[in-house]
Amino acid sequence: MNNEEAKFILQGYRPNGADAGDATFCAAVEQAKRDPALGEWFARQQSFDTAVGAKLAQVAPPSGLRAAILAGGKVTAPVRPAPRWWNRPAWVGAAAGVALLLTAGVALWPNRAEALSDFVLDDMRTSGGHEGHGPGSSVLQAVFSNPDARLGQALPVNFAQLHETGCRTLLCQGNHVLEACFNRDGMWFHAYVVRRADFPAEVRNSLLISDHGKMSMATWADDEYVYMVVSRSGRKNLELLL
Amino acid sequence: MSSEMFTQLVDAHYAPLYRFALSLTKSPSDAGDLTQQTFFIWAKQGHALREAGKAKSWLFTTLYREFLRGRRRSERVSALEELGPVEADPPAPEVDVVAGMDAGLVVEALQEVDETYRVPLTLFYLQDLSYKEIAEMLEVPIGTVMSRLSRGKVQLRVTLARKEAGSQGRVVAFNNPQARKFS
Repeated sequence: MNNEEAKFILQGYRPNGADAGDATFCAAVEQAKRDPALGEWFARQQSFDTAVGAKLAQVAPPSGLRAAILAGGKVTAPVRPAPRWWNRPAWVGAAAGVALLLTAGVALWPNRAEALSDFVLDDMRTSGGHEGHGPGSSVLQAVFSNPDARLGQALPVNFAQLHETGCRTLLCQGNHVLEACFNRDGMWFHAYVVRRADFPAEVRNSLLISDHGKMSMATWADDEYVYMVVSRSGRKNLELLL
Repeated sequence: MSSEMFTQLVDAHYAPLYRFALSLTKSPSDAGDLTQQTFFIWAKQGHALREAGKAKSWLFTTLYREFLRGRRRSERVSALEELGPVEADPPAPEVDVVAGMDAGLVVEALQEVDETYRVPLTLFYLQDLSYKEIAEMLEVPIGTVMSRLSRGKVQLRVTLARKEAGSQGRVVAFNNPQARKFS
């Protein structure tokens, strides 16, 4: 990393120290400690950011705002869900008929695979940051963020060890799903790994890339695991990793 | 959500949310309305949030979406993405000069930064959200957030320097016979 790259990263470092534990900044902060010129630039940036942040914090909300919000909260009832369809006898009858027709097809349909990809996409949509987990997360992150590692093939993953060492683990249909965010060329991706035996319907002979609104997903498998990498940075950036 | 929890949530976040709204709307009354509207939506829907720890991000995101919903995005906002590489550090006012400036003047300078950069920059200076959370909120890659922060800081420094020079220009000795010409 040269000093210009370090500066680009460091100018996103909050002056209150809240980013001190963020791995993204570690190398750049260390470089600033070693390089006097970069260190001086970083100190100036932090002082300037502290001064501006302090000025912004001096802006006081209007005196009546808090009371108005609290009063509004008291008179606002949470939205109640619509009546459940199964409380209506006519719908129950219709649903029973449809269920009979679908029974045979369900067993053949790869619903487990769909459930997994839906689960992954749902996790992407509903979870903000995925940081704050044990060292296992960093290990899995390192596997995927290695600039020399071409994805779309077998990767050096020890599933049980990653789970035991605190890698973020989700539960999908009673099976573990490992997750880690990783960065390649300044763009973030999310990697999910499952045991192949847990999701047999997800196993594919070849790499699959699919688009889901603003997200793109690459899915592939090796002898032991199924891998899914999801990107919000566009399909092309995802394809560059493969 | 109990009344007590709602009060705690308001106390923890309403001030930074108002500051963010003020940076977006440039109007104290609109900022107050936007902040209220955000908590109103929370009171109606926020209880359904799966993780309580995500409340802060949810509130900032909802406020920003409400702001965008309230007005049609101008052509200029997207056109700004086409600018060239980030400029080198421009001359900036000394830190002690910024520290000595009126808070209103600094906020005014922040409000003059183009909206594309002002949104992540204000969130950065509020220091409540990490760059990752800002990226999630704006639905842009992290590299884009970093780039916008960089460009936003360049604009802010230039604007602060101009305002500082302007305020110095307006300082005229009381016994100066030319003083009334500058009023």
